[in-house]
Amino acid sequence: MFQGGKNSIPKPAPRNLEDLDSVQRVLLHSDLEPEWLDSVQRNGELFYLELSEDEEESLLPEPQTVNHVRFSEKEVIIEEDDSRERKKHEPTLKRFTKILKSKRLLPKRYHKKNSNDNGPVSILKHQSNQKTGVTVQQRYKDVTVYINPKKLTVIKPREQLKLLEVLVGIIHQSKWSWRRSGKPADGERLVVHGLLPGGSAMKSGQVLVGDVLVAVNDVDVTSENIERVLSCIPGPMQVKLTFENAYAVKKETTQPKRKKPQSSTNDLVKLLCGSEADGTQHSSLGAPHIIMYLSLQLQSEVSKEEQEILYHYPVSEASQKLKSVRGIFLTLCDMLESVTGTPVTSSSLHLNGKQIHVAFLKESDKLLLIGLPAEEVPLPQLRNMIEDVTQTLKFMYGSLDSAFCQVENSPRLDHFFSLFFQRALQPDKLHLSASPSAQQYDAASAVLLDSLPGVRWLTLPQELKVELDTVLSDLEAADFEELSEDYCDMRRLYTILGSSLFYKGYLVCSHLPKDDVVEIAAYCRQYCLLPLAAKQRIGQLIVWREVFPRHHLQPPPDSDTEVFPEPEGRYFLLIVGLRHYVLCVLLEAGGCSSKAIGNPGPDCIYVDQVRTTLHQLEGVDSRIEERLASSPGPCLSCADWFLAAPREKADSLTTSPILSRLQGSAKTATSPTCRRTFFSDYSFKARKPSPSRSSGGCEPGEGGEGVGLSPHTTPDAVRKQREADGSEDSMALLKLARKKSTLPNPFHLGNSKKELSEKDVEVYNMMKLTSGPENTLFHYVALETVQGIFITPTHEEVAQLGGSVHAQLIRNFHQCCLSIRAVFQQTLKEERRRALRGGDCPEPTDSVSSLTPVKEHGVLFECSPENWTDEKKSPPVMAYWVVGRLFLHPKPQELYVCFHDSVTEIAIEMAFKLFFGLTL
Amino acid sequence: MGDEGPGSTVHLLCLAASSGVPLFCRSSSGGAPSRQQLPFSVIGSLNGVHMFGQNLDVQLNSARTEGTTVVWKSFHDSITLILLSSEEGTSELSLERTLDMVFGAMVLIVGLEELTNIRNVERLKKELRASYCLIDSFLGNSELTGDLTQCVDCVIPPEGSLMQETLLGFAEATGTAFVSLLVSGRVVAATESWWRLGMPEAVLLPWLVGSLPPQAARDYPVYLPHGSPKVPHRLLTLTLLRGLELCLLCGPRPPLGQLEPQLLERWWQPLLEPLRACLPLGPRALPEGFPLHSDILGLLLLHLELRRCLFTVEPSPDKGAQGSRGTRACRERRGCSPPSPEAQSLLPCARARHGVAAGGSAARAAAAPVDAVSSEPHPWAAKPCHPHPTSPYPVPLITQGQAVNRRGNISVSLFIHSQ
Repeated sequence: MFQGGKNSIPKPAPRNLEDLDSVQRVLLHSDLEPEWLDSVQRNGELFYLELSEDEEESLLPEPQTVNHVRFSEKEVIIEEDDSRERKKHEPTLKRFTKILKSKRLLPKRYHKKNSNDNGPVSILKHQSNQKTGVTVQQRYKDVTVYINPKKLTVIKPREQLKLLEVLVGIIHQSKWSWRRSGKPADGERLVVHGLLPGGSAMKSGQVLVGDVLVAVNDVDVTSENIERVLSCIPGPMQVKLTFENAYAVKKETTQPKRKKPQSSTNDLVKLLCGSEADGTQHSSLGAPHIIMYLSLQLQSEVSKEEQEILYHYPVSEASQKLKSVRGIFLTLCDMLESVTGTPVTSSSLHLNGKQIHVAFLKESDKLLLIGLPAEEVPLPQLRNMIEDVTQTLKFMYGSLDSAFCQVENSPRLDHFFSLFFQRALQPDKLHLSASPSAQQYDAASAVLLDSLPGVRWLTLPQELKVELDTVLSDLEAADFEELSEDYCDMRRLYTILGSSLFYKGYLVCSHLPKDDVVEIAAYCRQYCLLPLAAKQRIGQLIVWREVFPRHHLQPPPDSDTEVFPEPEGRYFLLIVGLRHYVLCVLLEAGGCSSKAIGNPGPDCIYVDQVRTTLHQLEGVDSRIEERLASSPGPCLSCADWFLAAPREKADSLTTSPILSRLQGSAKTATSPTCRRTFFSDYSFKARKPSPSRSSGGCEPGEGGEGVGLSPHTTPDAVRKQREADGSEDSMALLKLARKKSTLPNPFHLGNSKKELSEKDVEVYNMMKLTSGPENTLFHYVALETVQGIFITPTHEEVAQLGGSVHAQLIRNFHQCCLSIRAVFQQTLKEERRRALRGGDCPEPTDSVSSLTPVKEHGVLFECSPENWTDEKKSPPVMAYWVVGRLFLHPKPQELYVCFHDSVTEIAIEMAFKLFFGLTL
Repeated sequence: MGDEGPGSTVHLLCLAASSGVPLFCRSSSGGAPSRQQLPFSVIGSLNGVHMFGQNLDVQLNSARTEGTTVVWKSFHDSITLILLSSEEGTSELSLERTLDMVFGAMVLIVGLEELTNIRNVERLKKELRASYCLIDSFLGNSELTGDLTQCVDCVIPPEGSLMQETLLGFAEATGTAFVSLLVSGRVVAATESWWRLGMPEAVLLPWLVGSLPPQAARDYPVYLPHGSPKVPHRLLTLTLLRGLELCLLCGPRPPLGQLEPQLLERWWQPLLEPLRACLPLGPRALPEGFPLHSDILGLLLLHLELRRCLFTVEPSPDKGAQGSRGTRACRERRGCSPPSPEAQSLLPCARARHGVAAGGSAARAAAAPVDAVSSEPHPWAAKPCHPHPTSPYPVPLITQGQAVNRRGNISVSLFIHSQ
């Protein structure tokens, strides 16, 4: 908190001869140590996040207000001079610390920066939060208390100053004082023997009797020097006390509930870093929700209360009721499985007038339960969520047992599940973005997209793809100097198995097997890394942890000797984020690299290399950005257009001169079918820019203001504009594009210029999914399970369309797709079961039962504008289809489309168009 | 063909909520009633979890395993019904509706008083036996959809107006307002008052008549779950042709003896031919020669306002053969006309020709396109207002469902060939 200048993007650590391969060596040269090094935990894990400077500035005032509120409750008078004086006094204390250090008065305990706990400058997860962390964090907890030395003047100091008692409110009775047997014990530990009522320590609620005070503002203290240290506090200020708890007990709900002003800007960051006390943020989630991990084997001789609960979260009231009826779940799990032969998957119950779904997942003799209200989370989604959670936990810890049954994991799991419930119950809060429309889109689509076994993919033009591939391959080759085995004369620490590059949450390039990339993406999703990268420029993000990729650790049982046997190695995940990029690298230790011993932390060289790779990509992002704005996917229509002017639109389209001109030019095309598609494609190509313009500034006459797009474009304006689209020549387009440059998006200008120059090329690339002259496609999601990717319109595309009805349509589309997908999943399950049974009898005699699988499912919806003011006319009605289609051959694919009712569509054709050429 | 293996079994448990005493257990396997029963310990724990939750103010509604769905529902705090179904593609919604129907059936037979105020469990058990027949028809595969759609199954009779007139005349002659003509559980024609019957009984009464063993005439006491759950009425049925029955709902008058064969003969003898043409309408619902595209394999038409539905999977006779060969979706069905050696009819000339009707039940397999039909389709409804899974085998099918729900509250589902 004191080092304002530390927040710049760090330059890659210089790589000269000495500071090379390992953390230890770098530690020796402490001048060069990267700032994240301190936050590496004892078990080697690291989660380090630092926003870029401009983001920081916007966040900076926030934590201060937090402090204000917190302390103003108690000491109002000091409030106003607090912030002013802090600036003055804090450096003095720091200076003091330095002096002590230089005099070697202080034993070096562990390096820890003061800047850590005040949030914004560099946010270190697991350190500002007392509950989290492993050994170090568990033994040590930091409590910030307010100390006002001016009290001393009020209370007459008696013979011996007992500053600890008076200022902090901690009563420590040294042995010396009651034994009087001899000399004061040198450096006696400061055990908290009692708390002074009304003292700061008691008010904080976090200091417990039995704790040992080990440091004040990172200055180590003992009974010997405590009074001196405290007497150096010049004025009223916050002081960080570090305690060592005698027993690493998991803290119960003793945390006082503080009300913090919740600003929406950095909630995500706060959540990610776990800087908010868990209890506090969940008090706002009133709906009952719970996660429990129960043991099904009860030791009857030990009749301890709640012994079957291995883990549960949250500890708040909301979950109490669900916790108390766990007997139901245990009985159901046991009984129904014995009756039906299949494990229980879900249950639903009514609680306080609310319907709650509970999803079950049984593994050997343990049961994982997640309960969420049905209103927020429909059952199919909950099923997907529990599977997702299980997958990620296994990826992180190897198995559910090792995740839940180790005590030191529980603070981390608390954090994990606080994020989980936050995402489930308050999705809007996490999807922060610049524009509200994109935010809406995110929140609406998360229902479906979060559960798809794939990663959101952005198709890139060939040359860009090659470029990215090259950069990643260079990294993966790992032939940079420091890593060469000759150079260090030792085996390299890790083999890079592959890497995946995300840009703004879209997968742009991946050199990892499908299973790995899906698991890594799920991990990033659980920790909200991808939305973070999409919304905020990351100054530096480094995540390091050991992972257990299923694909490598559990090879399929039928693998024969021909197949490459996976080495018995350990795997580590390194995620480095920079600006909007997130690069995930999977490393292998063992195999051909040296074996990992203990819990190795992140290796500087690997981190630097990855970061350098990201720096190399700096120039590319404008081109990716451009691609995001105008993706090669099929053109979309906005639902509002159809409601606005159903008739005229068609007319203006067919009569537009540009079309006739095009028909002439299309004669060059070779085959008649080709010409037809060419023609129709072009017509929609010509229409494509219209939405962006309607959001920018409609007509030249209407002026360039209109950056804040109006949700209700009047039918007239749209129509006019569409006509303009048809007739305008390139000059007008250019002019408009200039006008558009008032848009916040800086890429727009170059984008439309490019469109002009490359028009002829792009005509071939543009794709119209629907048949018929009109483009009736509203939205689509296409899932490719072999490569583990899906494509869907980008945020920019959706934002360009705008429209109030359209936003609702998208929400409805995703919800409908969720239930359609649930039907498909049932189908797939039955198919699998049948395949198993089919193994016994070669001929599928049960032709009757194989009729059930659902391959296509369509639902027709009808909508009209919400607030229709014209009383004379009835509101226009638009009907649209949401169709899901499941393909099993040649490879499993799923397609969900939403289109206008006017044209009959054949899903197979659409799928062919959409999936064609879709390769990683 | 209809063999589904041990997978698809349905168990219905009925317990007294306060004491936990099982009142009855019904099971069906592969669509037919079976004697296979759940062990008593399972019944006890199924009820136990529900009771345990109730004591803690937590209402356990349903649970699912991979292949099975269990639904709990308690009625009037005195009866707990538990339904355990392992049919493919069952939803909680349909099971819950089935439970509603089952409870309605129990009220229909023994009255609400007996059920809410259980004094003698043994006597109640005995009384409930009368409802087994009806309840089993809900558990098994019925050709009717009323339990799911909560609409009355109807057919379109040939010469409908003539039949309606005759029915009205007959009603007047007998002095009864509630009269209807049913063919295997579907309404051919009914008086205004009959149509105005409340919801559970409007579906339950035809269903009851369809499920009872064939009799020439019956005088059956019924409670109306909605209309008069505590005061019984009389349901008189008169078989005109085999499977074609005339129903009268009345108070103490008229006695059955007053409805003499002469009266029937006077009113219905002239309509013998149209009546005979009604017989195949049981499974088909549409009269011969009804103009319908030949690619349509199945049809479900719901009128949500009038609460009537029309459902068929063999809209044309030749397609019917095809349908019986392969078409099957959500429900497997069995022929609903019970094989009786002696079809009794009150119309003299029909008695000689009862064999004609036998052909109608040849086609057995059927498809039900409904997963869930929400009664109030809303344009922005989060749930699909009209899902229609199709099964492209052996003939590839393409979904072309249609949900028309503007003013008229009519929904139509069509199953159409892709070619």
